[in-house]
Amino acid sequence: MILEMDRVQIWGMKKYLEKVIPILHNFGNMQLDDIRNVPDAMVQPFSLTEKMQSEREEVDILIASINGLVELFSSLVKTEAQAPLTKDDDILGIKNKVADVTSQVQYLNNRKKTIQDELISLSKYNEMLNVIAPVMPRSSKKSGNASIRALVHTSQMQAMNMLAQQLKLMTRGKFEMISVRVGESTNAIIGIFPLEMISQVETFMKNEKVTQLILPEEYAYLSTDEAVDHIGKKVELDHQELDEIDARLERIAAQWLPRLRTWQLVCKDRVDEFDAYTKLGETEYTFTIFGWIPAENVDELRENLKTNFGKKVTVNVIEIPKELREIIPVSTQNSKAVEPFENFVKMRAVPKYSDVDPGTLVAFFMPLFFGMMVGDVGYGIIMLIIALLVGKKVKPGLISDFLGALKWGSLWAILFGVLYGEYFGTLGESLGLHPLWFSRSNPDNFEKLLVMALAVGVGHIVLGLLIGIWNAVINKSRSHAIERAGTLVALAGLFILGASMLKALPDGYNIVGWIALAVGLVAMSVSMGGIGMIMGPIEFVGVIGNILSYLRIAALGLASVFLAKVANDMSGMVGSAAAGVLIALLIHALNLVMGMLSPTIQSLRLQYVEFFRKFYEGGQSSFTPFRKRINVVFAPSNIKEMSKE
Amino acid sequence: MDVAIKALAAALAIGISALATALAQRAIGSAGVGAISEKPELIGSVIILIAIPETLVILGFAVAAIILLG
Repeated sequence: MILEMDRVQIWGMKKYLEKVIPILHNFGNMQLDDIRNVPDAMVQPFSLTEKMQSEREEVDILIASINGLVELFSSLVKTEAQAPLTKDDDILGIKNKVADVTSQVQYLNNRKKTIQDELISLSKYNEMLNVIAPVMPRSSKKSGNASIRALVHTSQMQAMNMLAQQLKLMTRGKFEMISVRVGESTNAIIGIFPLEMISQVETFMKNEKVTQLILPEEYAYLSTDEAVDHIGKKVELDHQELDEIDARLERIAAQWLPRLRTWQLVCKDRVDEFDAYTKLGETEYTFTIFGWIPAENVDELRENLKTNFGKKVTVNVIEIPKELREIIPVSTQNSKAVEPFENFVKMRAVPKYSDVDPGTLVAFFMPLFFGMMVGDVGYGIIMLIIALLVGKKVKPGLISDFLGALKWGSLWAILFGVLYGEYFGTLGESLGLHPLWFSRSNPDNFEKLLVMALAVGVGHIVLGLLIGIWNAVINKSRSHAIERAGTLVALAGLFILGASMLKALPDGYNIVGWIALAVGLVAMSVSMGGIGMIMGPIEFVGVIGNILSYLRIAALGLASVFLAKVANDMSGMVGSAAAGVLIALLIHALNLVMGMLSPTIQSLRLQYVEFFRKFYEGGQSSFTPFRKRINVVFAPSNIKEMSKE
Repeated sequence: MDVAIKALAAALAIGISALATALAQRAIGSAGVGAISEKPELIGSVIILIAIPETLVILGFAVAAIILLG
């Protein structure tokens, strides 16, 4: 059902505005119009004060911080939970807590980065020392000896040997040099010499511009073996600390992620309030808000504002200007069972304010057609179980709408399964379960099946045309009314002709049929204006095509029942009973999956293409009320405290 | 012989129209998925567009039915 919508104007003293906006936000049933788009508005658009602007900027920054934390925490813990609101969850409280969490996370991330950098360096030292360690001479481990390490390019080895000779002379033969290949073109040089000569040797190396492999200070004066040992222990400790940091980050994420999600909504709500201010109009002392409210909620808002402000803020229902009649926002109200189908209708287009809401009709016909196509008790029961079990677990959206429709469709499938006598195809028949109406797997009933599908098509199309006439009368669109009535009359003429040809009616009805067909076609052509002579007959052929399109109910049903029959027959053809059952199960599973998807799409198509085209225009915008994403009241004191910061 | 020719004619009627539908749906489907990735709200229109060529195979089915029942 499409709700009746009132256009309202709220007027009041500007000093109450900061209280009116949160009240409207909590009321949650008014769509605010931008004053710039209101025809003949005699007031200027509201300008945010400096205080409001700076507060908004702060909220935007806060949202950015929260988004960053949510993104980081979502990668650490898998939870969709959202924490309930607490009294402290106002903007100021959120800001303080977010700053606290951010600083903790920043500290841990910085520490993590430092350790990771250290590990990278240590792994390089470790790699190098591990190459050097096995070739270190015993003399390097003697007390009173020191060593230097350097990395040189292979091409510099000759020069290095000359330097070693010089160092030998300098140390009176006590300098010992070992070189070992550590890469494709790199050699590690190890020099061993008496400890008292360390400064002389280092100065010499520096003057000769040989880059030493300098270990961190804590390992610099250790022997290679000791350094390797110490680095190993340090790496182990670093990994332990990294694990502790990760565990701590996960704990923080698990603790704060649900609350951050709640705060995201609280902050977005606050931003919505700032946006609301920019839509209203102001004079020096007053404000004006224009918008739309479902007629049934106007008194509630009026009472609400009267209780809070007396006569200082008033609500008036005003006449809808002509230029706005085509853009009245549309709000529908249907029972919970119809909701998934309502969303299917909106997927096509939001209904027009003056349209008949097709939600209930789709809720009846879509599952009915689905059931007629599937028509199997076994499949229907499995589909019902899937829809009930999975439906509870999925989030609202296309999948949940699909499962909602599947629930009703599977009930119809069970009913038609009983009528067709199908229990996993022909399995029921072999167990003695016979159809109450006719069996689709029997070739003799093929004609009956086609007639049933066409009869359903005729009924559906005629209903669409009748609603179309009703819509046209309400919208005072004479041409549409004549066109749809003409189509109906022409269709009636065609059926009378067919019936008299098949001798179902006496011969005299032949003329009645021709007359009705001609009158209907003329009416259709006239309603279409200049091109009607061509378009009228083409449109009528299209309507016949629409009716034939319902043959898909029969076609899909046949495909389903024969695939099930193949599954059952094949199980008997295989030698092993277990293999036969397995093959049958696989084919039935395939048929079941196809049976859930294809009939859904086909029955939806019959609504969209064949049925809707007879009456449904749609294309209006949905009612989008100024409503809180989460229910929290912003205390004015908090706003003041925040702006002081 | 007559029965065999009838069966062949019915199979051709539905087979060729199914091929035609598949060709049309291939083009529409790939374009439709592209459109939905840009504008998810177009899903309703895309379902219609994808389902429209199926009328071909349904008409093929109708012709096959007429051949077999006729």
